[in-house]
Amino acid sequence: MVPEYISFVEKFCTGCSQCVRVCPTKTIRIRNNKAVFFDELCIGCGECTRVCPEGAVSSSISVIEPCMKDKLNVVIVSPVLYAQFPGVMPSDVLIGLNEMGFDHAIDLSYYLEMFQYAVDEFVLENRKSNNAPWPLISPICPVVIRLIVLNYPNLLDHILPLRRPVSLLGDEIREKLSHEHGVDKKDIIIYHITPCHAKVVPDRSGLMDELGFIDRALGINRIYPGLKQKLEQVKELELSLFPNEHFSFVPSTRGPLWGMSGGEIAGMRIDNVIAVSGVKETMAYLEKIEMGLFSDMEYIEFRACTEGCLGGPLTAVDRYMAKSTVQKFIKMFGIGRRLPRHKIRQLYDKGWFFSRIKPSELAGVYKSKRKPLTFDDMKKIEKLMSLIHGSDCGACGAPDCKTFAEDVVTEAADLKACFKMKE
Amino acid sequence: MSSLKKSFNVRCRDFIHAGEASISVQQLLKQMHIDPVLIRRIAICGYEGEMNVVMHGGDGIYCVEINTDRIVLDISDKGPGIADIAKAMEKGFSTASDEYREMGFGAGMGLPNMKKNADEMIVESEPGCGTRVRMSFIIKQSTPT
Ligand SMILES: Nc1ncnc2c1ncn2[C@@H]1O[C@H](COP(=O)(O)OP(=O)(O)OP(=O)(O)O)[C@@H](O)[C@H]1O
Ligand code: SF4
Ligand SMILES: [Mg+2]
Repeated sequence: MVPEYISFVEKFCTGCSQCVRVCPTKTIRIRNNKAVFFDELCIGCGECTRVCPEGAVSSSISVIEPCMKDKLNVVIVSPVLYAQFPGVMPSDVLIGLNEMGFDHAIDLSYYLEMFQYAVDEFVLENRKSNNAPWPLISPICPVVIRLIVLNYPNLLDHILPLRRPVSLLGDEIREKLSHEHGVDKKDIIIYHITPCHAKVVPDRSGLMDELGFIDRALGINRIYPGLKQKLEQVKELELSLFPNEHFSFVPSTRGPLWGMSGGEIAGMRIDNVIAVSGVKETMAYLEKIEMGLFSDMEYIEFRACTEGCLGGPLTAVDRYMAKSTVQKFIKMFGIGRRLPRHKIRQLYDKGWFFSRIKPSELAGVYKSKRKPLTFDDMKKIEKLMSLIHGSDCGACGAPDCKTFAEDVVTEAADLKACFKMKE
Repeated sequence: MSSLKKSFNVRCRDFIHAGEASISVQQLLKQMHIDPVLIRRIAICGYEGEMNVVMHGGDGIYCVEINTDRIVLDISDKGPGIADIAKAMEKGFSTASDEYREMGFGAGMGLPNMKKNADEMIVESEPGCGTRVRMSFIIKQSTPT
């Protein structure tokens, strides 16, 4: 079955097997010259959508939904969006979105900063009591969370049990706007413009409390052409006033910085932190944490995308160009702190930041449906491997010989699919 | 009773490949749906054992034997051996060089951690000939395999 994250047009698929090779959880095979998916193993990283040369595999949110009349259309903007427009001020990007028909375009950076304070508080508190399992793992990247649920369940209780900034903000906004405008909460549609392929399926990213706060996700790459056009008009009108009269959440540099690998931890006071980006690198680190390494670290920022969310699958501009734009913002504005710590502390003490679902409760939410391999299976696999003695040519439709041997033993593939085994 | 054996070569001072045997075993156990908590204990012991061979031992062999009721790690090397095993087992005892300490090793916690995480552990060593560390882990019948 095709995973929810993906839209697959079979007739475009040529069976070239590029997606098979890049999939980090080995979810895809080629059968009869077409890609097929083991749905339950998909972590939504979007690697397959990046490599497909035919456009057969793409993200399932690439379709832009029109803003709905008679509803209040609100959009929460991932700061990665600003990095797509060199030379344009973030506040102008928000105006551009207003011009496109969104009633409110809301910046996240205030909430990002709050989240960073809350992480500081959590770590400092647990450092004293030594309650937390070290290192703590950032809850931000949904792909990483899903990877842990699927393959590293031991590490679930390392996930920091705080809600993501988007869900904190989404919650607030619906409350406030329905009050201010006197509209029913159901008549407020919250969109989220995102570079993230994994935010597509609310059900799955809802793992960490996002469910219900975001109604629709929009890919940056989809909104980009229309927005770019609007921004040119905005420039001509010299409209550079701050929008959002209802929300004093003026963009800060912290937002764009957040999109870079290392941007999440850059705003924190705690020191023993690292940032890791890339799905392969993430897996290697998770394996090591399972072996007891890095327990002297307090917090690890993982991002499934290389260079962080600036490299997300739904971005419009190359990640390194986007990074350069962010660096220019930082040069111009610095990264100040704006929030009074004691206020955040009050919210923290009230439990406002805490996730309602404990990460450890996620165990088993998604499980591989593959049978466990028995001793005999293992022996058979080894024997097959010695017979195949292959070079991972991929002609059989599996990503590598070992996976093929496993498929054969679990009766998911025919031995004759290997050209060496044909005779 | 069926069992499965696998062995990996571990090379002394080869920090580039250090840890690979432990990772392979970890992946193998996951595919067999061994209890994750047990996998973690085995991973910790395996890694510490493997690193000791890489740092203090000589070239060695890392063997894993998986039975229905227990898993055994057998890590041996042809290095300098351990003169005083009881001493080496103490928390905080380490002969690691400054170079290794800079790399973050040498807390002297490896062997004590292995002892803590294994159900049974036997260390044998002959100075000048090598070291062999065997650890067993009992698979509880209640845990689905
Ligand atoms: N395979 C081995 N060959 C020779 N000596 C060893 C071997 N394994 C351990 N030792 C000796 O035992 C000592 C204690 O080992 P242990 O693993 O407890 O600590 P460590 O390796 O020094 O530090 P850590 O494991 O905390 O990084 C080592 O410093 C070393 O002298
Ligand atoms: S790195 Fe960012 S864009 Fe990429 S999957 Fe994670 S959260 Fe989404
Ligand atoms: Mg050691």
